[in-house]
Amino acid sequence: MDERDLFRQEVREWLETHCPVSQRQPIVREEQIWAGSQATFPSADAQAWFEAMRDRGWTAPSWPAEYGGGGLDPDQARILEQEMARLRCRPPLYDMGLWMLGPALLAYGSPEQKATHLPRIVRGEVRWAQGYSEPGAGSDLASLSTRALDAGDHFVVSGTKIWTTRADVADWIFCLVRTDADAPKREGISFLLIDMHSQGVSTRPIALISGESEFCQTFFDEVKVPKANLVGELNEGWAVAKELLKHERKLMATMESITEKVDVGLVELAKSRLAVTDQGRLANADLRARLAEHLMQADALSDLNELIYRGMKAGQLNPALPLTLKYIGTHEQQRKDELMLEILGADGLSMMSDTPELDRMVRNWAYNKAHTIAGGTSEIQLNIIARRGLGLPE
Amino acid sequence: MILNEEQLLLRNTVADFLNKEAPIEALRMLRDKADAPAWEPELWRGLCELGAPAAAQPEEQGGLGFGAMGMGAIMIEVGRRLSASPLLSSAIFAQAVIRECGSAQQIGQLLPDLLSGDAVATVACQEGTHFEAETIRCFRENNQLTGCKNLVIDAASADYLLVTALDRQGHLCIGRIASDAPGVAITPRQLMDGRQYGSVSFTNATVEEWLEGEQVVSGFARALDETTVMLSAEMLGGSRELLERTVAYLQEREQFDVKIGTFQALQHRLAQAYCQLELAAASVYAAMNALDSAADNLAQYASRAKTLTGDIYQHLSNEAVQMHGGMGVTDEMDIGLFLKRSRVCNQLLGDSAYHKDRFATLRGC
Repeated sequence: MDERDLFRQEVREWLETHCPVSQRQPIVREEQIWAGSQATFPSADAQAWFEAMRDRGWTAPSWPAEYGGGGLDPDQARILEQEMARLRCRPPLYDMGLWMLGPALLAYGSPEQKATHLPRIVRGEVRWAQGYSEPGAGSDLASLSTRALDAGDHFVVSGTKIWTTRADVADWIFCLVRTDADAPKREGISFLLIDMHSQGVSTRPIALISGESEFCQTFFDEVKVPKANLVGELNEGWAVAKELLKHERKLMATMESITEKVDVGLVELAKSRLAVTDQGRLANADLRARLAEHLMQADALSDLNELIYRGMKAGQLNPALPLTLKYIGTHEQQRKDELMLEILGADGLSMMSDTPELDRMVRNWAYNKAHTIAGGTSEIQLNIIARRGLGLPE
Repeated sequence: MILNEEQLLLRNTVADFLNKEAPIEALRMLRDKADAPAWEPELWRGLCELGAPAAAQPEEQGGLGFGAMGMGAIMIEVGRRLSASPLLSSAIFAQAVIRECGSAQQIGQLLPDLLSGDAVATVACQEGTHFEAETIRCFRENNQLTGCKNLVIDAASADYLLVTALDRQGHLCIGRIASDAPGVAITPRQLMDGRQYGSVSFTNATVEEWLEGEQVVSGFARALDETTVMLSAEMLGGSRELLERTVAYLQEREQFDVKIGTFQALQHRLAQAYCQLELAAASVYAAMNALDSAADNLAQYASRAKTLTGDIYQHLSNEAVQMHGGMGVTDEMDIGLFLKRSRVCNQLLGDSAYHKDRFATLRGC
C-alpha cells in the first residue's frame, strides 16, 4: 500500500467516525451552514460535523496549515473530495471567503492580511460578501464607479454594489473600488476589504423570480476604510479580481455540488409520472431522446473535468480547456431544470406547492437562471473562449 | 485518460509519417484514380512498417501494447488528414472480431497476418442501417452461407470477409470467407468520401471456417463497440482539423476592412462549437480508457462517443463551409472533403440517432 492509499484509508476511517449519518444526505438549502457572526446550525449533528471538519482544517483542505487550513497537497485534497463524495458527506461550511477571497488572499494578500483573515474564514467566524457589480457596471465590470478617496491613513468609500449575496447578514465584503478616476478603466481600480459593520454601510434585499432574496444592493455612504485593508498594490486591483474570478468560475461550473443538491433522478421522475411502453421505455420518444442527450452531456462534462485534472497533473493541459467549464456546466444545469419542469407538467407550475421537494425543484429552476449571468455571463464566457482559447482577433 | 509518454511518441511518429506520405492531397489523388483503389499500397506498407496495425494488441499477443489509447491516438491523426487505409476495417474491426470471437487456434492462425498487415480483412455485419443480431438474414447451412450485407468497408480489396450469420438454432456465428470464393458477389461502390465500400451477396458461398461458440455474442458486441470508439476517434480528429482550419481562415480573411474573426457572431458560434468539441473529445478519451480498463459498460461509452463526435463533426463541417464563404463550396478547398467524410462516418456502424436510442435504453430511459 503506498502513501496515497494509506491516506485514503485514514480519511475514510476519520469520515466514518466523524460524519454523523444525518450529514450524509444531499444538502438542502435550509440546512446549509453559512459562516459568520450570525451563523446558526440546523441541528446538533450539523454543528458537530462542522466543528470536526473545522478543527481538522478541512473546511479549507488545501490551504496551508499555518492559516488553519488542512495543508493537503492536490492529490490528498482530491482523495478527501472523493471520499466525501463516496460517503455523500455534506459540505461542512459555505462562505464566499472560503471559495473566492481566500485563494486570492493566498496569492496577493500581505502577511498581516493572511494572518488576520484566513484563520477566521477557515473557522467560519466571518461571512464574506462580494462587492463587484454595480447598477451601471455588469459585464463591463471595469467601468465601476464606487470611489475610494485617499484621506491619509484611510480611504473614504462612496457608491453602491449590487448582487451582493446575503450582504444583509455578511460581516465583511471584498470590493473593487475606483482609486484613480483619470486612469484608463482597468488601471484605476483597487481591491479593498470593508467591515460591513462600519458606519455608512447599508443593504437592501432584492426579490428574485425564484421568490427568494439572496442578493442585495449594498450602499456605501462615506465609509472609512483603513489603508491596511488594501489587497495588492494601489490601482492594481484588477489583477486580484481576475485571480478571484477564476475561482468563482470554477465554482459556478460545479455549482450543483455546493448549492442545493436536489438529487432529481430525471429518468425515475419521468417514468413515475409519464406513460411507459411495454418494454419499460418512456412512451414520449422525443422526451426520451432529449433525456438521453442530457445524460450524455452530463457524463461528458464529468469526463472533461477528469481530463482537465489529469492533464494538469501531467503538465500537458491545453489552457483553453478550463475556459469552457463555466459555460458548459451552467447551461447543462439549466437544460436539466427545463427537462424537470417539462416532466412535472402542470404540477410544476406552483411556486408554493405543499410538497417541499417539488417546491424546491421549481424554485431552483428559476434560481438557476442566474447561473448563466453571475460570475461572467455566458456571452462574456464565449468572448473569452473565442479570443483567449481559440485565438480569434479582438 | 490521457496519453502516456510512449503513446505520445507513437502519435507524433504516425503524425510525421502521415504528413509526409498521406496528406489530404493523397486522398484527392486516390479519389480521382480511374481504377479507384481503396488505398495506396505504398502508404499501407509504410503504416505496417511503423507497426500501426499492431499498435493496440498486447505484446504477449504479438502486438506493440499501446492499447486502445494508442490506437485511438493514431485514428485521431488519421482523421485530421483523411488518410485512406484499411486500419479501421482490418487492423481494428477484423482483428477485434478474431480476438474476441475466435478459438485459441484461430487467433493463433489469423491474427499474426493482420497484425503485420500481410493480410487485410473486413467485417460484413450490416444489413440495414446498423448491426442488429435479431434481424440477421444471413444463414449458415453446414459450411455454406447465404444472404446479403451492405456498407462493407473496403469489401472488394480485402483478402477475406468475416460475415455475421445465424445457424439453424438461431445462434450468432461468424463465417470467414475469401472475397473471391465462389458464390460471393461484391458490388463495389465509391461513396462521396472517395473511399471504397461494397454490397456483398452470398449464394451458397463456401465458408473456410466458422468463429462460433458461446463467446461470439458478447465478443462480437465488444468488437463492434471497440470499432465504434476508434471510428469516433477518427471523427474527433476530423472535427478538430475543421475547427483549426476555420479559425485560421477567420484570422486571415478580411471584409469591411477588418479580419472577419473579429465579428462576435462568428466568434460565439465557434466558441460554442469548441465547447461541444471538447465534450466529444472527453467522451472519446473516456471510451478509449474504458476499452483499456475492460469497463463493463463499454456500450454506453461507445454510443456516447459516436453520438457526440457524429453530431459535432456534422455541425462543424457545416459551419466550416459557411464560414469559408464561397470558397467553402469549391472542390479546391479541403473543407468539402471533410464535409463528405463526416456524413459517411455518421452512417457507419450506426448513426447518431441509433446510438442515442441505444444509450437511452442502456440508461433505462
